[in-house]
Amino acid sequence: MIKLINTSKIYDKNVVALDAVNIEFKEGELIVLKGVSGSGKSTILSLIAGLIKPTTGEVLVNEKKISKIADHFVSSFRQENIGFVFQKYNLINTLSVAENILLPLVPLNLTKVELKSRLENVLKLFDIEDKKDTLVKNLSGGEQQRTAIARANINSPKIILADEPTANLDEKLSLEFIDILKELKSQKRTIILATHDPLFFELDFVDKVIQVKNGQIIS
Amino acid sequence: MTLLVALLASTLFISNAMKSEYNTIINSYPDIVITNQKALRDTTINEDEVYKVLSIKGVSSAVARVWGHYYFLNGDEKFLILGRDEFETYSNPLLNASSNIAKDSMLVSKEVKKSLQKSYYTEYFNFIKADGSIKRLTIQKTLERSNFLENSALIIMNNDSAKEIFEYDDHEVTDLSVSVANKIEVAFIAAKLKILFPSARVSVKDDLRVMYENIYNLRSGFFLTIFIITFFTFFIIIYDKVSGLNSEQRREIGILKALGWRVGDVLNTRFYEGAMISLVSYILGIVLAFIYVYYFNAPYLKGIFLNNYDLLKDFRIVFNIDFETLALLFFLSVPIYIAATVIPSWRVATLEADEVMR
Amino acid sequence: MFYYKIFKLFFLSSLLSVSLFSYPQISQDIKDKKIYPMGEKIYKAKCNNIDVTGFKTYEALSLAIKDSLCGTLSKKYEESLSLYIWDVKLGDSEVHEKLLVSKKDKCQVCGMYMHHYPTWVSRIKYPNGEAYNFDGMKCMFKFYFNNKKGITDILVQDYYTLHTLNAREAYFVIGSDVYGPMGHELIPFVDKKSATTFSLEHKGDKVYTFDEITENMVRSLGR
Repeated sequence: MIKLINTSKIYDKNVVALDAVNIEFKEGELIVLKGVSGSGKSTILSLIAGLIKPTTGEVLVNEKKISKIADHFVSSFRQENIGFVFQKYNLINTLSVAENILLPLVPLNLTKVELKSRLENVLKLFDIEDKKDTLVKNLSGGEQQRTAIARANINSPKIILADEPTANLDEKLSLEFIDILKELKSQKRTIILATHDPLFFELDFVDKVIQVKNGQIIS
Repeated sequence: MTLLVALLASTLFISNAMKSEYNTIINSYPDIVITNQKALRDTTINEDEVYKVLSIKGVSSAVARVWGHYYFLNGDEKFLILGRDEFETYSNPLLNASSNIAKDSMLVSKEVKKSLQKSYYTEYFNFIKADGSIKRLTIQKTLERSNFLENSALIIMNNDSAKEIFEYDDHEVTDLSVSVANKIEVAFIAAKLKILFPSARVSVKDDLRVMYENIYNLRSGFFLTIFIITFFTFFIIIYDKVSGLNSEQRREIGILKALGWRVGDVLNTRFYEGAMISLVSYILGIVLAFIYVYYFNAPYLKGIFLNNYDLLKDFRIVFNIDFETLALLFFLSVPIYIAATVIPSWRVATLEADEVMR
Repeated sequence: MFYYKIFKLFFLSSLLSVSLFSYPQISQDIKDKKIYPMGEKIYKAKCNNIDVTGFKTYEALSLAIKDSLCGTLSKKYEESLSLYIWDVKLGDSEVHEKLLVSKKDKCQVCGMYMHHYPTWVSRIKYPNGEAYNFDGMKCMFKFYFNNKKGITDILVQDYYTLHTLNAREAYFVIGSDVYGPMGHELIPFVDKKSATTFSLEHKGDKVYTFDEITENMVRSLGR
């Protein structure tokens, strides 16, 4: 369960990204944040992931005030609970698919066997198994996206956040993505998507569509 | 990184070898040498003075030595001539080891043999005395190379041959070499000798050793130059690292943070990374230095230490591992490199992940 | 008249011949430091298989050598060789072992490792072969005064030559400005002359024989 209470985020030079916003997300919901670039939807995602701290107000995730805790614990929190698919994917180009996917797990010192099995699960799930040793910079857009999603899932997070996941995909790949979404939803994860792709607005398995404009919630 | 360590290591190895060489050589010098002087210029001494020296308690032996230099080919080359008495015991092992030298014969070193051959002297050589007359000596044997650094153009002959060439009188000798059994007494005896021979220069071996050590010490001249250069380069590398990571690296750290890596995790990885690189460089560097110095005999680099380039070709560097040196190199390179790798990462990792990725 | 001249000639020549071959007057120092080492070298090089034991007098030996017993030699060498053979080879001199220690040997009394101070080593030996080493004479005497029984040899090194001496026949100087590894020391010498020379030059108090040394003297030298 995620709550934003009176949360504002103001950057230097008085750029107001979010203005006293109050939202609540229930567990297991698939929610779409609708809005154009710069509307503040990416900011909401970053706040939930703990990547940034609000200027005023609080962010609660599963009763934890992540806006107030120290960087070290936020990272741990992120490690355990969040899977983030970035708009620009943010993969490390000089590493292979498998290496990128495993990155979140490295600090955990798991056994080789454990790592291998998790990796294989996720590779299969997101249909990127055949490219697992290819360097990221040699992948196509769709393949990179699937890698990013696979990475976001390797730690079996309860909350999945995706920022403009289909921005660089053609229609075919977008539809493939929607299939993946369905699968994830069936696993009872909380999924929050920020997008302005209309494909998502009419989906039947979406629980809520929240419009964001100029840092405020509408509807 | 590897090359730097190799360079540094080579220099250190060479200088160590040099030091031990010099120690060996100095051990073959007598404890005290008495050289007579007139008007503070070196001159000869009467060989019977040796009995005066022998009567001093503490002196274990004293030898009247005949030796000097000879200009060959109008001064283009200088030969060192060591005269010797077959049954005397000298402090220089070279003079004791040689077997009987026949009358009017001599033993020459390889360098001398080569030089003489260039001038078509193969079996003998005609020494020219001051009055123009000639003293011919036959080459009895060529000496095997030993470890002397300074004097490679060496000739050993009987005392009377040497006296003839130098035009000494019957009782004239070059100097007196004195050995003292109990080293505690050396300075004391040197003082006594100065009183006994007021017009002579009394040189004590330890002064010589100090002089040589100063040349080949870490803190001196040539060596320091190389040291500074390598160090400087090293620090440039380090500075480059410490002054911040490039944008690509910062982005990577940001990504890791976003993925749930804590600051400690990032530092851990960077630490291992730095440690691996510097350790491998260190080991590789040392191994390279070994091969370069001991197997190939350190071409070119030797030249910085030795003056006479001809010597360099033959000089074999003694195998000499000094753990202090290795440890010094280690502590100079590895921890510093690791620190240079870890610290900037720490700076970046403590920023908000989001800011870095923008 | 004539017989008188012949007699004089004979008398003079025999005098001459005796002085020619009689035992030369040379100081012991020079003999030890130059003549014997040289003679030894000559002997080893030239007299390898030659029997030198049969000579009853120095003169006879000297004559034989001049007669090329060991080959032709210059006059200086002949004299060195003769003296060496007569004094060293045929004479009897007691030579004691060199007092060597390994890196692990410790002083029996003070426990210090001795290989750093090889010139100060002294030793006490027992009939069963047991031996104790000491770094200095002070430690050795301390041990000696408490364990006088059953000792066969006490060995020390002469300060000037480092030859091993029988301590009981040696001379000691106390109070000099030469310090051993344990501080103030008793410095041993092979003869009185050396000891006196040293004492004068190094501000020693007095020269003592072995028997004159008391436990109090040793204690007054400090730890």
